[in-house]
Amino acid sequence: MGSVMEMLKSMLAALSCVALAAAPALAEETIKLGAPLALTGPLADAGAKSKQGYDICISAINAKGGVDVGGKKLKLELVPYDYQSETNRAVQIVQRLINVDKVPFLLAPYGSGDTKAAAVVAERYGTPMIAAAAATSSVFDQKFQNLFGVLFPNNMITEAEVGYYTKNVPGLKNVAVLALNSLFPKSIADELVKTAQAQGLKVVFNQIYSPDTTDFSNVLTQVKALNPDWIYVTGYTQDLILIRRQMEDLGIKVKLLTMTAGPAYPEFKDNVKSFAENVTTNSWWHQNANYQDNFLFGSSMKYNETFNQTYKRDATYLEAAATASCETLAMAIEEAKSTSADAVRKVLHDKTFDTFYGPIHYGPKGQNDVNAALVMQIQDGKLVVLAPEKLKQATLRIGVPKN
Amino acid sequence: MLGQYVVNGLLTGGLYACIAVGFSLVWGVLNIVNMLHGSMVVLGAYFCFYGVQQLGLPLYVVAPVVCGALFLFGYAIQAGLLNNLVGQPILITLTLTFGLDLIVNNVLIAVFSATPRSLVMDYGALEFHGIRVPVVRVAGMLVAGILTLLLYWLLRHSKIGRAIIAVRMDRHAAALMGIRIPLIYSLTFGIGALMAGAAGCAIALIYPVTPMMSGSFLGKAFVICVLGGLGSVPGAIIGGLVLGVVESIGTLSLGQQWSTSMGFIMMMAVIVLFPTGLAGKKGYE
Repeated sequence: MGSVMEMLKSMLAALSCVALAAAPALAEETIKLGAPLALTGPLADAGAKSKQGYDICISAINAKGGVDVGGKKLKLELVPYDYQSETNRAVQIVQRLINVDKVPFLLAPYGSGDTKAAAVVAERYGTPMIAAAAATSSVFDQKFQNLFGVLFPNNMITEAEVGYYTKNVPGLKNVAVLALNSLFPKSIADELVKTAQAQGLKVVFNQIYSPDTTDFSNVLTQVKALNPDWIYVTGYTQDLILIRRQMEDLGIKVKLLTMTAGPAYPEFKDNVKSFAENVTTNSWWHQNANYQDNFLFGSSMKYNETFNQTYKRDATYLEAAATASCETLAMAIEEAKSTSADAVRKVLHDKTFDTFYGPIHYGPKGQNDVNAALVMQIQDGKLVVLAPEKLKQATLRIGVPKN
Repeated sequence: MLGQYVVNGLLTGGLYACIAVGFSLVWGVLNIVNMLHGSMVVLGAYFCFYGVQQLGLPLYVVAPVVCGALFLFGYAIQAGLLNNLVGQPILITLTLTFGLDLIVNNVLIAVFSATPRSLVMDYGALEFHGIRVPVVRVAGMLVAGILTLLLYWLLRHSKIGRAIIAVRMDRHAAALMGIRIPLIYSLTFGIGALMAGAAGCAIALIYPVTPMMSGSFLGKAFVICVLGGLGSVPGAIIGGLVLGVVESIGTLSLGQQWSTSMGFIMMMAVIVLFPTGLAGKKGYE
């Protein structure tokens, strides 16, 4: 009896082994997109937004049957990992995604610094990686063949800003600049200083602050003493909120206050209420630009509608860029009629993609070089476009706080 | 202008003191480096935010309820978990509270998301001879100061307070005097959590609250404890104010990016020169 039971047991074990081995063959074939995401840690808010952008792209593509790879429809599958906002962990995760999960394509971690670090690994293994949130040129200056960036370079943003304000703010003579000590904010602040000086503005203050700063009253007291016409601040959204509130505590009045990129997100306004009035900002994208997109959503407006239905709020440039990164990848796979890295990489370098995000041309360097910088301002609680002229929704209001 | 920097430093320092006092008490009495403290401050801030913004209750009703809730939370953690590890090396309790901190912090992110939130109450600012003092900051500092003084009074003049001090001085002798050590431990941890809740409410008025800010607050509490002396309430006040002013002067002389480092440099100097802290007593280092 005992031996019969043993035999039955071993047969059962053998059967289950066969079943397990057969399981992957039965599962649907997909195209895996590896995504290291900052879901916890200081970048958690931005990380969650990136994921929403990816999710909306993947569900839209899968809803129309998947990506057409030479006549065969393959669905997309996101392979996400939380890298806890730690650069080293992002690098480890990219390694894991390539070696263990065997993903053929990668979506880069958040921000210029983390993207730059992760790109080294992607380049080593020859895996194409698309970055949705890296705008700093130095990230793309490493002659990597596998890194692509949706955001156009920082200097295009600062040139648009300085050009617009010098024309539209009477008596604009000087600017005070404060930036978070991190790759992107520092880089955009450097670009602003360069552009401002080139346009004849005097830079009266130019300092950085460390990521752990819990109080800005002292640095703002220094800025107040200089009485600048224009204050330009760049850093994490929560820092910008605190800075705007502490400016009010200290009674700082200024012609122009620009913050990058917090005011582009609804939580800035929610956290400073009426003090958000007349704060200017910039953006890489806004739904009002209404670019046409024949591949996926139809247009920028329709993309935003889809986003709004799912997440009950408007998309910002951050989610839009994340969606666009995934969309251009899908377009490139269809064009290449293959999921081979070499074929897809070639299309990514050569093609100009017409998307709801606007035209995207990665070019030989990998960074999108189509300039569509927007200058924006919060007016009556709404974010409106000031420039470029063809998208203009309102004229600039001068004076922060609003009189 | 120097006056404005000193006032800035004192206002920030007052808040730092309120954050640190509970942390210092727990470290001094229980010999537990409570890594959970920063997250308890953030938890208090979220509770206050939701009570006022979502439920529409006035802050003076919400704040005491939040403090009470945090007290129960702290009491339960000490009674249910940490009391089992009393007498273990400090690293064991540190690791446990570190683990708890990870859990609480991730629950906070899951429940409240990482989007910053704040109570926006504009009470304006007072101005004396060109020095501006925002009313909300003064109110926050005053409440924090009053609570800290109350705690000081409790420790010096109440029966429970004397028992806590006795346990801090000598756990074994206190037990021989009939003091129930586990109860005192739980009460002390509860009081530490209550102070974190109070600090959280003050912070919700001033800062945009996100779950990730817990680490910065914990760092400040750490520096203040070393500066002021472990387990000492006046030490936490002195340490907090000194740190606030030193950061102010640091910004003025070296620039904003060095202000946080100034606090840590001063902490190292104090460890070398005054191992018991600026207001600590020998034997509690």
